[in-house]
Amino acid sequence: MLLDRRRLHLGSVPDVDPVPALRGASEPDDQEVGRRFGEGEEQALAWAYERWAGQVHGMAVRAFGPGPDAEDVTQQVFVSAWTGRSGYRQESGPLPAWLVGICRHKIADTWARRDRQRRENEAAVVDAQARPGGPVTAGVDTAVADRVALLDELELLGQPQRGIIELAFFEDLTHAQIAARTGLPLGTVKSHIRRTLERLRARLEVDGGALRA
Amino acid sequence: MEHCEPEQLALAALGEPLPSDDAAHLAACETCRAEVASLRRGVDLLAVPEFAAAGPSIAPPPRVWDAIAAATGASAAATGVPRSPAVVPEPAPDNVRVLRPRRSRLLLAAAAVVVAAGAGAIALNRDDVVTVASTTLDPLDSSRATGKASVVEEDDGSRVLRIELDAPAAEDAFYEAWLADTSAVGMIPMGTVRPGTTSLTVPDGVDLADWPTVEISVEPIDGDPQHSGVSLVRGALDT
Repeated sequence: MLLDRRRLHLGSVPDVDPVPALRGASEPDDQEVGRRFGEGEEQALAWAYERWAGQVHGMAVRAFGPGPDAEDVTQQVFVSAWTGRSGYRQESGPLPAWLVGICRHKIADTWARRDRQRRENEAAVVDAQARPGGPVTAGVDTAVADRVALLDELELLGQPQRGIIELAFFEDLTHAQIAARTGLPLGTVKSHIRRTLERLRARLEVDGGALRA
Repeated sequence: MEHCEPEQLALAALGEPLPSDDAAHLAACETCRAEVASLRRGVDLLAVPEFAAAGPSIAPPPRVWDAIAAATGASAAATGVPRSPAVVPEPAPDNVRVLRPRRSRLLLAAAAVVVAAGAGAIALNRDDVVTVASTTLDPLDSSRATGKASVVEEDDGSRVLRIELDAPAAEDAFYEAWLADTSAVGMIPMGTVRPGTTSLTVPDGVDLADWPTVEISVEPIDGDPQHSGVSLVRGALDT
């Protein structure tokens, strides 16, 4: 069963070693779990959690340290994935990569929420001091909002563009390494990288313009 | 020189080292630098350690599954869920924060240095130094790296081995330059080389006629000062 697990070529999650002791003979491989998850089989949610919660939680802990925030993010990832399972497309990547992608969104959302709270608190302090003048705009962290927007933009990319940029961004691979990993020609990888970075730049310009307007 | 190819500027925005021609142009060209900066914003926002795919797996405490099961109503079907952190023990918070340094950020700084060094070397080449030997560095084994090496003599008589290496950043390893004798048995370690341009001092008393081969090896970070046996590129200096 270990041997026939398909090697992942795209997507941002390397193969995760399963834990043989926990895996009964009747348990399906990762691809099958992904398929049954998409079909809404509750046991597949449990399998997905068993196999990939550690990876998702590991990311959340890296962002927030161990504790309630990281646990919230992990919980949100699996609940969102389950309720949004009709949006999972097996042909565009394995389930763990999709879960990790959702995790990035939840981390970015949590940062944005914290930033909002920080500004509200600062505004409340300023209000309490009865400062005269117009509405208070305590330093908006545009990077936080931009990050949410760019993650959305990544979602809109088709393959192989998305896999390529994820390997560059999230696995730190050079274009030559991406070409080797995916089997795509160097020139193809380079031009996809170029077009994706242009697209992200355009998204920042649009959103930045909307913010200023 | 013409502007850099748009694809090269995108790679620069990702923090990849550019071939020396492009790097030199980029150092001097306001237009190309502005383009890289505008493309880099997306990279800076997304290529952050928190989003990196590879990281330690940390089993969440059982209450996380309980909350998920409660929210989805999946508890009845969940038979295989570990009730305790059976996969990986939760590491101490200190360990959790140790992250692999991001190439993107480190190399942006490194690329800036290489660009500056490259521009300086070009200027030097014109007046003050004499190239006494040079060679192309050809890939060995399965590597696709390439490069150039030259030895220049400066005003004070000191010699510098200048290496231009076009190779991906080494992963969990570094590149080291060696001068080898004609039999390639004896080797003199010259120092660490990075993708881009690196200048190393040739020890006085080393006769390049006896040590004509320039080789770059891939050295694991294991504390062993010997040549690892893994060679990336090699070339023979035409003295």
